[in-house]
Amino acid sequence: METAGRKGRGSTVETANAPHISIRRLNHHYGRGETRVAALSDIDLDIQEGEFVSIIGPSGCGKTTLLRIVGGLLTPTQGSVLIAGSSPDEARRQQDFGAVFQDPALLPWRTAEDNVALSIELRGGSNGDSNDHEVATLLTKVGLDGFHGSYPYQLSGGMKQRVALARALAARPRVLLMDEPFGSLDEMTRTDMGYELLRIWEERPTTVLLVTHSIAEAVMLSDRVVVLSSRPGEVVDVVDIGMPRPRMQSIEESKEFADHMARVRGLLKRRTDDSIAV
Amino acid sequence: MTRLPSSTPRLEAASDEGRSVQGRLVPTVAGYARRAALPLIALLLLGVAWEAAVRLSGVADYLVPTPSAVGSRLFDDLGYFLFHGLITLVEALGGFAMGSTVAVLAAGVMAHSRLFERTVYPIALLIKVTPIVAIAPLFVIWFGFGSFPKMMIAALITFFPVMVNTFVGLRSVNPTTLDFFRLLDAGDAQVLLKLRAPSALPYVFAAFRIAVPLSVIGAVVGEWFTGDRGLGSVIIVAHHNIDMPTLFSAIAVLACIGLGLTGITALVERRVLFWHDSQQSGPVL
Repeated sequence: METAGRKGRGSTVETANAPHISIRRLNHHYGRGETRVAALSDIDLDIQEGEFVSIIGPSGCGKTTLLRIVGGLLTPTQGSVLIAGSSPDEARRQQDFGAVFQDPALLPWRTAEDNVALSIELRGGSNGDSNDHEVATLLTKVGLDGFHGSYPYQLSGGMKQRVALARALAARPRVLLMDEPFGSLDEMTRTDMGYELLRIWEERPTTVLLVTHSIAEAVMLSDRVVVLSSRPGEVVDVVDIGMPRPRMQSIEESKEFADHMARVRGLLKRRTDDSIAV
Repeated sequence: MTRLPSSTPRLEAASDEGRSVQGRLVPTVAGYARRAALPLIALLLLGVAWEAAVRLSGVADYLVPTPSAVGSRLFDDLGYFLFHGLITLVEALGGFAMGSTVAVLAAGVMAHSRLFERTVYPIALLIKVTPIVAIAPLFVIWFGFGSFPKMMIAALITFFPVMVNTFVGLRSVNPTTLDFFRLLDAGDAQVLLKLRAPSALPYVFAAFRIAVPLSVIGAVVGEWFTGDRGLGSVIIVAHHNIDMPTLFSAIAVLACIGLGLTGITALVERRVLFWHDSQQSGPVL
């Protein structure tokens, strides 16, 4: 399942499988009447199980809206989203989701480990030994050994985001939604955390939908990059990033990486030029 | 690369102060003494100036007593003032406890029901804008003598700020955190207990800082109308007798009660809200 999906990433192979997330003719507007603003226009997208897909686009292109619709936090004006055949609301009730946002959104009155345990509590698990073990393992995995008992105010921005990642994983999500998770981090921390995310994701495969405005981040992490245009967000193109996994930081030196970067940048630029011309 | 970057956490940020525990500033007795020294000296100088002014000008002591006269009145009969002070204190705290409890519960219901909010909030506002001094005689007639009517007045004056702040606090959750809870299919009870209630705590404590001194006002106002016990009635009696030293002594004891209660509130707040931004910049009181 995941392993098969991971290897045969080419789009031709995958059309045979039922997609994990299926987005059809999705439209969304905010407001009504004269103040009505189109946020998303005719989005069609299939995401396979275990696939890592990034959504990139100029700010205000509806990336976050799309993510919220997939998570069932927002009902689209038109169109449908199915997650393994279920509506986003049903998927939410089946506790399919984990999430990391730009704001770590930790509970400031809880220690790092209690913040991670929150996912287990909300999942309905009691605070047994096995859960304690899982929390400790996850915190170690995100590189926070020695900070299990620290409160958010004692942690740096990057460390808070690590806790948020561990918390999202503790939910054992089938779908991991990430909304610019590294957006407020400095460049170096950002890159480090990107590769850490990859390493963790390769150990614990899950379908990832990542919203980002960083081209490098999208290319280095993803199987596919969905490029959206500015308002209303439309799919300009979907770029297959065929680079082998596991990926190390050295891929950034490769020509392939540079080519993909250039391709995505070109797609983003073209749309911006178009919209200026109009 | 998979390890932590060497960026130092905020743990060490405050250690140069020599009084940090796990990164937060902890007040010490010495710290308090240092900060109390200046105002105490100023107060002392003021007292000396006052004493001198009264003695030199020859103002009648039934108009302005000397601090020494007030001091001797207070300490000669300390038991008397402590007894009445304790009564006022118990009334204030009892009223504060009742008022805050009802206020927190009301805010909890308001946060869940728009209908309740729209019904109760205007009424609460009406009570709030009505001067408490105007309502106090009514309570005395209704609830008779003893401590209960005073507690009710203290409760009433405490109620509004605590209710409004708790309500706002319950609503003021981080929207992203709320999204996280919703994405993980948290129920209403979980959102309330694990998110809204703790998020409201800083607001509740901000209200307590206002409500605690208010509750003392409520108790004293109540005592004005029934001259049996408490510092309020001591003040009224002293006023009728133009007994300035007693009047000033009662005021001094009330000031100490207010100061003590405010200090205790601040201490409890720091204990409970150690995680909150407001506590990261060192003690306010």
